[in-house]
Amino acid sequence: MFKMPPQIIRLVLLTIGIVCAYFTARYFLTPASFGQYGHYRGNALQEIASREPYWAGRKTCDTCHGEIVKKLAKAEHQGLSCETCHGPSKVHVDNPEIKLPKMSYSQCVRCHEASPSRPKWLHQITPNKHYTGQVCSECHVPHQPNEVP
Amino acid sequence: MSENITRRGVLRNLAGIVGGILAMPAGRTCKAAVQHGLATSSAPKGYDPTKHKWLMALDVDRCIGCGMCVEACKAENSVPQSNFRTWIERYVITRPKAGSGESRGETFVDSLNGGIAGFKPSLIPKEDILKSFFVPKLCNQCENSPCSQVCPVGATFESPDGVVLVDKNYCIGCGFCIQACPYGCRFFNTTTNTADKCTMCYHRITRGLRPACVEICPSQARIFGDMKNPIADDPLQKFIENNKTQGLKDHLGTKPRVRYAGLDEEVR
Repeated sequence: MFKMPPQIIRLVLLTIGIVCAYFTARYFLTPASFGQYGHYRGNALQEIASREPYWAGRKTCDTCHGEIVKKLAKAEHQGLSCETCHGPSKVHVDNPEIKLPKMSYSQCVRCHEASPSRPKWLHQITPNKHYTGQVCSECHVPHQPNEVP
Repeated sequence: MSENITRRGVLRNLAGIVGGILAMPAGRTCKAAVQHGLATSSAPKGYDPTKHKWLMALDVDRCIGCGMCVEACKAENSVPQSNFRTWIERYVITRPKAGSGESRGETFVDSLNGGIAGFKPSLIPKEDILKSFFVPKLCNQCENSPCSQVCPVGATFESPDGVVLVDKNYCIGCGFCIQACPYGCRFFNTTTNTADKCTMCYHRITRGLRPACVEICPSQARIFGDMKNPIADDPLQKFIENNKTQGLKDHLGTKPRVRYAGLDEEVR
């Protein structure tokens, strides 16, 4: 009868041992959610989603300031989010006692300054030619740009 | 080695195999308990990634280049100062030389600081400009993304809801994905020592909020929505119906989930 040489048997046993060790290690080290949706950790989705938002969002403003939001929705600035002009409002949402900083009219110019790169539909002005020395709010209402104060 | 099979030996081996199989469920329970203890999550409850499919559309004709989106993204995602998850490019195309027979002159593209503070007037005189426009850019959230194909550890992936994400606990920071992205949308975050990119504000959209850039954009140049659950009067559905849309570098077969309308041939 054919007899396996001892060195081959030792080699085979060693190979089996290494393969077993690999599968045992893999079994215990692979995270439980790996492969839940694909070749990645399914739990990573929840981990990425668990961060707290920074901007409160227009919907949140609407819960208390519904009147203003409704009026805004009829005017030219209807698409704007409150925080676009008023700034990040999460602190104010968490504690309404904390008021948001006063508006500055440099914000109007940021969007409305004339530039050849800007689309034609946008109302644009050249700040040093358009009623210099006056603030925007003397003639324009930010929430209702078509109205005269 | 001699053939020496004894009853005792066979029984011992059998007992070992049976014991091993019996120990498997115990091992699994142990493993689950350990992993449960390690993972603490304040993720929004009741969000099922398989029931959503997000899509963003960009209306180039509505971008006014104010840079509010870049600022909003930086604040929302604590993006390092020198990197950008979204940015705005300004294209200036000059008039062709008189009598050259060309349709357009040279093209100049700039994006100083990603356009975070808006754009100063171009140095090219107004009368030499044939046309000029702004193009907002961000991760294209490819359905067939080159970046997740090259990741050696499965740290970056296309989520079931159509967003390409980076698992920061798994990323080894090799940077293959940064090289693989044909749009240059990824960067190496030196604070976390991992690859970083736009997540479409995954922590916001899973809570029913819009991504920061979409929320803050004053001109609705960015439109965002869920293709599986359209809302009443869905602006995204309307936009796709009313516009001829395309993705960037569509010929690469990456299938971007960020669609553009009104792109010029110079934009890539």
